[in-house]
Amino acid sequence: MRMIATIAKLLVKRVLTAIPILLLVSALLFCILRILPVDPAAMSLPPNATVQEVEAMRTEMGLNLPLYQQYGIWLNKLFHGDIGRSIHFRQDVTSLIGSTLPATIELAVIAMMVATVFGLAGGLFLFYVRGTRAEAVMDFVSILLLSLPEFLWSLFLLLIFGVFFEVLPFTGRLSPGFERPLVTGFLLLDSLITGNIPTFSNALQHMILPCLALGIALSPSLMRVLRSSLLDAYQDDYIQQARLRGLSEKRILICHGLKNAILPTLSLMGVQFGFLFGGTLLVEIIYSYPGMGNLMVDAIRNADLPIIQGAGLTYCVAVLVISIVVDSLYLILNPKLRVR
Amino acid sequence: MLQYTKGRPLPLWLKSGRVQTGLVIIFILAVCAIFAPYLAPNDPNEQNLLSILTPPVWADGGDAMFPLGTDSLGRCVLSRLIFGARVALTVAFTASIGAMIIGAFFAHVAGYFGGWVDWVIGRIVEIWLSFPPVILSLILMVGLGTGLRNVVLAIILVDWTRFCRVLRSEVIVLRRRDYVSAAQLIGFSHWRTITREILPGTLPLLITLMSLEMGVAIIVEAILSFVGMSVGSETAAWGQMIADARQNIYEAPFNLIAPIFAIFFAVFGFNILGDGLRRTLDTRLTQTERT
Repeated sequence: MRMIATIAKLLVKRVLTAIPILLLVSALLFCILRILPVDPAAMSLPPNATVQEVEAMRTEMGLNLPLYQQYGIWLNKLFHGDIGRSIHFRQDVTSLIGSTLPATIELAVIAMMVATVFGLAGGLFLFYVRGTRAEAVMDFVSILLLSLPEFLWSLFLLLIFGVFFEVLPFTGRLSPGFERPLVTGFLLLDSLITGNIPTFSNALQHMILPCLALGIALSPSLMRVLRSSLLDAYQDDYIQQARLRGLSEKRILICHGLKNAILPTLSLMGVQFGFLFGGTLLVEIIYSYPGMGNLMVDAIRNADLPIIQGAGLTYCVAVLVISIVVDSLYLILNPKLRVR
Repeated sequence: MLQYTKGRPLPLWLKSGRVQTGLVIIFILAVCAIFAPYLAPNDPNEQNLLSILTPPVWADGGDAMFPLGTDSLGRCVLSRLIFGARVALTVAFTASIGAMIIGAFFAHVAGYFGGWVDWVIGRIVEIWLSFPPVILSLILMVGLGTGLRNVVLAIILVDWTRFCRVLRSEVIVLRRRDYVSAAQLIGFSHWRTITREILPGTLPLLITLMSLEMGVAIIVEAILSFVGMSVGSETAAWGQMIADARQNIYEAPFNLIAPIFAIFFAVFGFNILGDGLRRTLDTRLTQTERT
């Protein structure tokens, strides 16, 4: 009961601080993109439009108002769920983001799981071989891995499994010819709900390479933090105490060492998962995965301001949500913070 | 530090194998970048439309004129790789120095003065961190426009928080030291206290972070040029080579491997240097902290 109250308190506090952050971020986004040398009015008209037509469009779009007023109007619309209309796709930005966001979330969530599994396993292994020759080797390997960002991992895995061995698909979310059920927009979930096993397994195959790339790229930093927090935890008396009580090393590691060492790792995960969400952008482009990253880059290439603003803001919200979730988890797992 | 190393043939940090490895890699890259016109077998922008996508020289159909083959426009891959080191290293050095100066400045001000100054800077950093770095740098590039100078500027504007966050907590530890209070009692100005008393203490961490940041900057530049938001197409950059090779992945997979390896090599060099520096410079720091 008490825990729920503390968590609720944290959630309220975090959401309240997130609001001014989002407001400032939106102002920042708005300003950066308004100093652009492109004219949104001229862009949304055919190239043979007259000067009068462009002027009329400018007035209609509110571009002749002072900047803060434009921002006010934009913000007001934003609160009503209207982020504007894409100049290039001639579609509402909200619906464009709505159709691409689930794909990105699916990618990010599975990648986070992969990163967690690799990070935990690798960290435990690094700790297990401490003080041996293998440690020096593994340490070196982990720096090697740290030097390969998700961007390079994606290309690398694509080359090996997609091009040389041709075992896994590497474009899009689904091979042509597969039926695409639409319930929630999350392809894996939808195909499971509708019981469409062929689609599910095909979609899963498409997810393997991008998720591996993102997960593997993130795991070395998690491994290293877990290793060093385990080393710190083992400095404490309670480990010695447990040993004196005659507990097996395995039990000490899992029940005492890991339980304490997981916390610093978890707080790093919050930051890292935020980065991972941004990293999906590159991975999506490389694997032609129809998520927000591809939408964003298309928008950037066409200087499509409403999408850039909308997608930028969505990425921010996602990062904030991830960090709030991780912080709540931290609170659930850390008894020291609960009793106050 | 000078006291410590006096009379020794090599400073402690230079003896580390990691630091040496890193320095050798960076030296090789620097030689490539500086002497690019003399090292490159061909003009990196010359298009040989008669020999498009030729494989490397050791493969069947390789041409000795183009040791690592050609890209989709018939440009020499090796030459573009060598010239690409110029962009990578320019960005690595200038962006990391810029980010370091801004980040270190705010970190020292925030950590030293504390109070509302610290609060404001802390909130600014928080806002910055709510943007995934890739997204923020892309948006900045949209606002600034392409070009080498703007790439550097965008990386500085994104990555100064890396320095600020880490250094700030270090400054907070250091400013509680007796010698800092002593300096304040003698009547040193704030500026002098920060630069003469605190900065020497944060310097090892600062140098380490800078070395790591250079690797990050190279990656970010590669990412930006991969999506076509970095230098113009007339300048060879590793990310661009990747984007070009991605289009012809079945015909010329090697074109993709070459720039991937170049980026990896460069980033690894800076990472291993940073790791070596952290071990040698920072352990002394933690030792003094414990005594």
